[in-house]
Amino acid sequence: MRSWKIIVSGEGGQGVQALAETLGRAAFQSGLNALYIPNFGIEQRGGVSLAFVQLSSGPIGAPKFRRADLVVALSPRSLRRSEQYFAPGTVLLYDSSLIEAPEISDQVVGQQSYETIAPESFAERTGYRERQDEAEIGSRRVIAIPASDLARQRLHPRVFNMIILGAVVSITGAVTLEQVKAALEEKLSHRFAHDPRLREHNHAALELGAAAVQVPLQI
Amino acid sequence: MEQAVEGEYRAFMTGNEAVAWAALAAGAHYMFGYPITPQNEIMHLWRRLGSQYERGFLQTEDELAAGFATIGAVVSGKVAFSATAGPGSVLFQEPLSMAEMMRLPVVVVVQQRGGPSTATVIYSQQELTLTCFGGNGEGLRLVYSTASHQELYDYTIKAFHNAWRYRFPTFVLGDGYQAKMREALVLYDPGERGIGPVPAKPIFHSQRRGAEKPLLHLRNSFSVEEELGEVLERHLDDYARAVPALVEHEFFGEPDGALLVVAHGVVGRAARQAVQELRREGRRVNYFRPITLRPFPEQALREALQLSGGSVLVAESAEGQLGNLVRLAASAEGLPDFRSYYRPGVGITAEEIKEAVLNERAVDAALLE
Repeated sequence: MRSWKIIVSGEGGQGVQALAETLGRAAFQSGLNALYIPNFGIEQRGGVSLAFVQLSSGPIGAPKFRRADLVVALSPRSLRRSEQYFAPGTVLLYDSSLIEAPEISDQVVGQQSYETIAPESFAERTGYRERQDEAEIGSRRVIAIPASDLARQRLHPRVFNMIILGAVVSITGAVTLEQVKAALEEKLSHRFAHDPRLREHNHAALELGAAAVQVPLQI
Repeated sequence: MEQAVEGEYRAFMTGNEAVAWAALAAGAHYMFGYPITPQNEIMHLWRRLGSQYERGFLQTEDELAAGFATIGAVVSGKVAFSATAGPGSVLFQEPLSMAEMMRLPVVVVVQQRGGPSTATVIYSQQELTLTCFGGNGEGLRLVYSTASHQELYDYTIKAFHNAWRYRFPTFVLGDGYQAKMREALVLYDPGERGIGPVPAKPIFHSQRRGAEKPLLHLRNSFSVEEELGEVLERHLDDYARAVPALVEHEFFGEPDGALLVVAHGVVGRAARQAVQELRREGRRVNYFRPITLRPFPEQALREALQLSGGSVLVAESAEGQLGNLVRLAASAEGLPDFRSYYRPGVGITAEEIKEAVLNERAVDAALLE
């Protein structure tokens, strides 16, 4: 397996860290070397949340890195924050329902998102208006999936990050969906036992995300 | 006391969790602490698991009290430790100086954060000098600088053993990155690897009537300077005698080296990765990481320098705290050709170290010869 250096970024509350930890745990359980470190500070909510994940069949060096193989950006602000990690060949995965929103007006998506997925992100409205054009992003391999819309319309807003994680599984091929499900089970079994629908939603979200990456990638 | 880790198994956890598990596995009886980021989860997990495994925990009113409570437990023969960071480490120097004077086997885990003062809760390597030499004395301490969760686990266990064997305050020096990141390690029962129980016994005895134990006078203050001088001389001799058995380092490279990259702790990971990549590209770069910062592996460093053309590049997340130790150790055989990549308070990636090596154009030419 090739190694992967992955940046996951989004707004506090979007489940960025849970996504990153689950990915790391799944890789660990599959026998790979995995390292996950959150970019942490004193803010608890309302800031950009960033995670570094590395997956490799060999040893892993420094916990952080400068050039990512894959950047996952889940809000406009976090996309800007992640720009420093782009290198030629970096794959960008982003949530098109939050960042591009081609079909609906910014304000509408902003309102909807405010009620559901990332309240903190829209406290800073200005960031939302500064949409970025794909061409400006230092990557020619851009994958957009409307994870936020999919979660809201088909499942539950809470499992938004698992749709993204499903897409990451498809893009990297580093772990399987079954391994991710096993990692979730280890972490959330007590909550799944309490509410089995939570398990169903998470699994459905993973599969939805994995299927949303339609173009076969030559990475 | 119930054994906390049975057999051995792989786990994916944070460095703070690895430390708490190691202290449990080593058979530590007590932790005393005061909360500070980024070490809090050591306390949290110890508190949660401690009651399950019959271990004690007390959150004191501040770091001074945590240090003195640890001293109190230790003199009664209990294996005790604390954990702290940044401004907490500064406050710890008062009880730690006392432990140094009285030769008490206090163990403290330091997860470095940015400094000076409150600075950041995140990361740095700025507590090297404080941890090694923070007291009003000669720095008769053992300091282990770890670079992985496996080392956090291994050296936390070792810290308890060597603290009690050699009777010097002993530190595991980690940092915010190691504290918070998750990676794999193998947890094991030290007993199953031939590591016996920590050799702890009461330092202050209760003198039973008729018992023929010699009276013990642990002193923290002296009337005349000669009296203190004699005691310190004895302590310094003990320390010097222990050095060969204590110093540890990691090295890889070839005798054809043209540059030695030196880093400690988590930056050692970046340095190792950078040097491996440079070697693959045909550059004659070697790698050295001191694992004990106090005592410092001076002899091993000099030998590594001899294999590296006498040129050294020190990388650290501080402004020369490691660099000064390297210069001092190397100067015994003439001053080395010294370069540095200092980033105080900021993390260092493998890419940066590689660039720092290659940006030295003169060096680069020599490296490829």
